[in-house]
Amino acid sequence: MPVQVNSIRANESHVRLPMIIAARVGRTLLLMLFAAVGTILLVRFAPGFFSDLREMDARYAQAARAEIQSEDNPQETIVQVARHEFEGWIKGDFGESRQYHVPVAELIGARLKVSALLLAQGILRGWLLALCAALPVSGLRKGGYLWGAPFTLVLAIPTAAMATACILANAGGPILVLSLLIAAREFKFLRSLLAGAWRAPHLLQGRAQGLSPYALVRMHIAPNIVPQLCALTTLSIVTALGALVPIEAIFTVPGVGQLAWSAVINRDLPVLVAISLLMAFVVGLAGMLATRTLSLEAV
Amino acid sequence: MKKRLPAAILLLLVLGAALVLRVTPYDYAFQDRDAIMAPATALHSSGTDELGRDRTVRVAAALLIGLAGATAAAAITTAIAACFGLLAAFSPPSIAAMLMFLSDVFLSLPWFFLLMMARSLLPLTASPLVTAVVTFLVLAALGWPACARAIYRGATVLRSSEWMIQGYACGLKNRQLIRLHLVPHLRPLLMPQFLICVPAFIVAEANLGALGLGVGEPMPSWGAMLLELDNSALLARSSWVYLPIALLVVVLLILESFTAEVETNA
Repeated sequence: MPVQVNSIRANESHVRLPMIIAARVGRTLLLMLFAAVGTILLVRFAPGFFSDLREMDARYAQAARAEIQSEDNPQETIVQVARHEFEGWIKGDFGESRQYHVPVAELIGARLKVSALLLAQGILRGWLLALCAALPVSGLRKGGYLWGAPFTLVLAIPTAAMATACILANAGGPILVLSLLIAAREFKFLRSLLAGAWRAPHLLQGRAQGLSPYALVRMHIAPNIVPQLCALTTLSIVTALGALVPIEAIFTVPGVGQLAWSAVINRDLPVLVAISLLMAFVVGLAGMLATRTLSLEAV
Repeated sequence: MKKRLPAAILLLLVLGAALVLRVTPYDYAFQDRDAIMAPATALHSSGTDELGRDRTVRVAAALLIGLAGATAAAAITTAIAACFGLLAAFSPPSIAAMLMFLSDVFLSLPWFFLLMMARSLLPLTASPLVTAVVTFLVLAALGWPACARAIYRGATVLRSSEWMIQGYACGLKNRQLIRLHLVPHLRPLLMPQFLICVPAFIVAEANLGALGLGVGEPMPSWGAMLLELDNSALLARSSWVYLPIALLVVVLLILESFTAEVETNA
């Protein structure tokens, strides 16, 4: 009888698994669509969307400025703007950049690798630093806050200031700033997560049995905190994506963040929509992978 | 008890800044053309910037503007999040799912990117006061989703608590239940959200300002003052250029200590 029940459960899980994955993918795609439509609406109806830097130039007469404004404002309705955007998506080039007059896909493609490498290295090093610091500190009964003070200090420095300080000191670079930011953010969570894990009753039992700290971490702590660590990774990705813009803009790294900043300054709608889509996709994918462990365990 | 010292330091800083603005004869936008990039003198206690504006006055004004703006924005965002979270918690499941999906749409984009995009949509000719108000309003308008999720979760748990069921059974209406029972119980959740938002908004404004998207000149702000660090000629002349960033770090550390205290108590 138990064998039969197990086989029914296994069959049910086989049916539910693709459905869960399909629902997750559908939700992510829907989020991306909403993010893109939201960006189009936000940018198109903004009072400053058709602003031109020449409007600030005192050498132009009032009539010339009005002419510039009418030149820049093509009087497109939201439906027309959305149609142009979607046509670009279907063609695969995401439209043409208003600022550089080249296909957006070409612009982003060239910069994607730079940003991906920066993100990967920053997140990896940040996590390594946070883990190395949090693991010993979490086991301490007293003085934990003292060890966490450097991370609190880093958290109190805006990313832009940290990047500027690196340039002034001629030391470090974008990876260091990103790693420090990620480490500072994750240290607090990791410390409390690990401190909770160290206090678990089965850990006490393990200690009483004479297991070494390494064995305790490997056999008891690590397997228990993996789902939470996955969720934290998503947070790290979101944090890093947000920090990418000031870091790349200040260090003049030719990545997606710098492109986003330039697109924002120049009101380049096709580039902004494409970057919004890309960011929504990365965040959605990270979220999907992070919750995968938790949900699929329940199947 | 632990909160008293940082609170006292913050109060002293605010009072000091207000006193500086009151006592000094210069306005934050006043340009002393004879003292451009001047070091600390009797006239300008921490020197002047590249346009000859008194740094002490500008730092004092930036401190007050930043703190007041971030506090107001945090209060607005917490109120929006509370309304949104409570509305979702007391709505039918389909509407609650829709509302939470809406918050997910906001959360699907990195906050700073969204902020930068929304802030950049102002016309280039907007006045400094308008840019300041809009910057903090944008922060308030975009900061609520994560907070709303937390409040929704808290309110959902409270909604099914025994004393709420008792309230329902006694014939209390939703509005009365929210006002009399739910909001007081949610206060321990709302307060940390508010306290977390204040330093986060100050940092966001500083980062935006450093990218040229914050409060418009000549109004002083942390972000605009960070831009001074790009001027190597200014850095070579005076160490007082580092005053704004040092003060900003102190203020943020104080605000972080409030957050840590609340988190520990929770």
